[in-house]
Amino acid sequence: MPLLINRELVDNDSWQLVDAEALESNTLPAGDIIVPLAYYQEHEAALNGRDGQVAIQVTGDDEIDGVLENPNQFPLIAIFIPALRDGRCFSIARLLKRAGFNGQIRAVGDVSHDRLDFLTRCGFDALDIPADRFSDEVFNAFSEFSVRYQGAEDDSRPVYRQ
Amino acid sequence: MYQYNQVDQQLVNERVASFRDQTRRFLAGDLPEDEFLALRLMNGLYVQRHAPMLRVAVPYGMMSSQQMRTLAHVARKWDRGYGHFTTRTNIQFNWPKLEDVPDILEELAKVQMHAIQTSGNCIRNTTTDQFAGVIADEIEDPRPYCEIIRQWSSLHPEFAYLPRKFKIAISGGPTDRAASQVHDIGLHIVKNDEGEVGFEVLVGGGLGRTPVIGKQIRPFLQKKDLLSYLEAIIRVYNLKGRRDNKYKARIKILVNALGVDTFRELVEAEWEQIKDSDLQLTNAEIKRVQGFFTPFDYEADAANDTSLDAKLAEDETFAHWFRQNTVEHKVPGYRAVIVSLKAHLVPKGDITHQQMDLVADLADKYSFGEIRSTHNQNLVLADVRKQDLYELWQILSDANLARANINTLTDMTVCPGGDFCALANAKTLGVADQIDAKFEDLDYLYDLGEIKLNMSGCINACSHHHVGHIGILGVDKKGEDWYQITLGGSDGEDASLGKVIGKAVAADEVADTLEKVLSVFVEQRIEDERFIDCVRRIGLTPFKEKVYAPAH
Repeated sequence: MPLLINRELVDNDSWQLVDAEALESNTLPAGDIIVPLAYYQEHEAALNGRDGQVAIQVTGDDEIDGVLENPNQFPLIAIFIPALRDGRCFSIARLLKRAGFNGQIRAVGDVSHDRLDFLTRCGFDALDIPADRFSDEVFNAFSEFSVRYQGAEDDSRPVYRQ
Repeated sequence: MYQYNQVDQQLVNERVASFRDQTRRFLAGDLPEDEFLALRLMNGLYVQRHAPMLRVAVPYGMMSSQQMRTLAHVARKWDRGYGHFTTRTNIQFNWPKLEDVPDILEELAKVQMHAIQTSGNCIRNTTTDQFAGVIADEIEDPRPYCEIIRQWSSLHPEFAYLPRKFKIAISGGPTDRAASQVHDIGLHIVKNDEGEVGFEVLVGGGLGRTPVIGKQIRPFLQKKDLLSYLEAIIRVYNLKGRRDNKYKARIKILVNALGVDTFRELVEAEWEQIKDSDLQLTNAEIKRVQGFFTPFDYEADAANDTSLDAKLAEDETFAHWFRQNTVEHKVPGYRAVIVSLKAHLVPKGDITHQQMDLVADLADKYSFGEIRSTHNQNLVLADVRKQDLYELWQILSDANLARANINTLTDMTVCPGGDFCALANAKTLGVADQIDAKFEDLDYLYDLGEIKLNMSGCINACSHHHVGHIGILGVDKKGEDWYQITLGGSDGEDASLGKVIGKAVAADEVADTLEKVLSVFVEQRIEDERFIDCVRRIGLTPFKEKVYAPAH
């Protein structure tokens, strides 16, 4: 799946999102992996003992207070967006930034053109776009608006403080 | 009123371009239909029974004459020559073509108008008192805060995909003409014991399927904290509001589920984190925006007019209109005029392109070039000299805009209903005509006094039927339209939800049923008691007995 990091296409991403089947059978691939928060919590010791880095994936249904207490234990946190209309991802990303997270925040799931700019403004640096929703046009998404009223994670100053 | 600066204009222009691109990608098949649906709704575009419907924002009901002329032009060029004002003080066009919408938006942008967030699960147009700035009983003009909220909420990157729509209203003083208690957030401008002006904050009000009166979450909020507090409330809602069932997704459901005290704790904890951030409003910004809402150069000698009294004495029809359709202005010698969009047998809130142009001209000539729309679907010329009222009335009368029925039974608030709306369960326009026809006698209406009648064509309650003194809700029973009647609602400072009097009545019995209800009122009324006060005093039983009495 095309991956944008800091608005640019990258093709040397080391992270693998572990699929449900592998989780089920506890047969994790080698290398850097992203696992659901619940799986991480259940297998924390084993995961930390393996080679390769471990990142978590959270969803809007997860209780993330524990993550917010020490987010930098993870190099990357993926936020899963189940559907276009689910806007919890935006607030979760902002909470992570506020908690001092300085790793990568990656959007996975229903990620497409018309939300890329808002995702970026809320603190996402990596956007994992499904192949069928990707075209060169998505790069335009970041320049559609040259002005904004509110502060966000890209610039905390609202227009009246700029 | 507020005038765009370069940033405001650029944002609106860029939204037009982005919507044009979204429409292009949709028509080219690159944007899936369900995704375009969410995106077009966030720009006010529905697809209705006959055609798309475009809802244009009228921020807190303020329009310039130039903007009104553009609305007339849009109605002529892209629609069928008319528009419809809504309870969110916006205007809807019922017949545009989907592919024309980007051009319409471009035309609107030229006069600082847009359709941003007039629908969709996002923060909608903030509404307020139609007499803001000109009424004596307000503590402070709420419009600068509406504009500050408009800017903060426009294309807010975090809050574009909330669980459900989100509506904010601000009342400028103790008399609530903004229905603030039935909004997701209601803000009341109040003065604290130290004499400082700020906001009382209510949360979790709303109508629709589950009508709820808002609850106080904070008795006093300083002005500088307005945006940080709103952001805290909406962040909690965005994270915790239900997303599994759209009928349970409004903030009122969350507030009720958690209890307002728990909800308050969550909000206050979140607010603690952000209240000292850049979100804090600066005095300079408040002053800058207030600078757009300063009083006009009123004429000092307007108060010396004697012609009005003479006209009132000699022309009874004019005197009725003056009494019903004008309101005292805080500046002596001026009145605020309500332009009735509730003409006899005309769909309520509808206005033709000729009427729009005329109102624009009248605003220029008599009212400093500004027009307001009300949440009861009328227009207001807020600053008219008393000496001009007679002339203005004559012109409005000739244009069918001076029906002297404001705050009477026929000043009905009515959604377009099943004739247009794809969501409606029942039609409303024919029933409104039936009520108009039955209660045409103005003297009778004046005798009845203040009555608010609100009729919605479905449970979504766009016309706020729960808070009408008389509410009518259209329901579908096996393919037929039936109407459920509620009594005792109010959207004012004494907000209450109406109660259903009994089983729904057939379409052709609505006006006759109202006649029975009103006959009970007339019988039981003490002196000049208002209808709503009478209902509250005697309860529903006498009304039920009359309406559902077995036929003889």
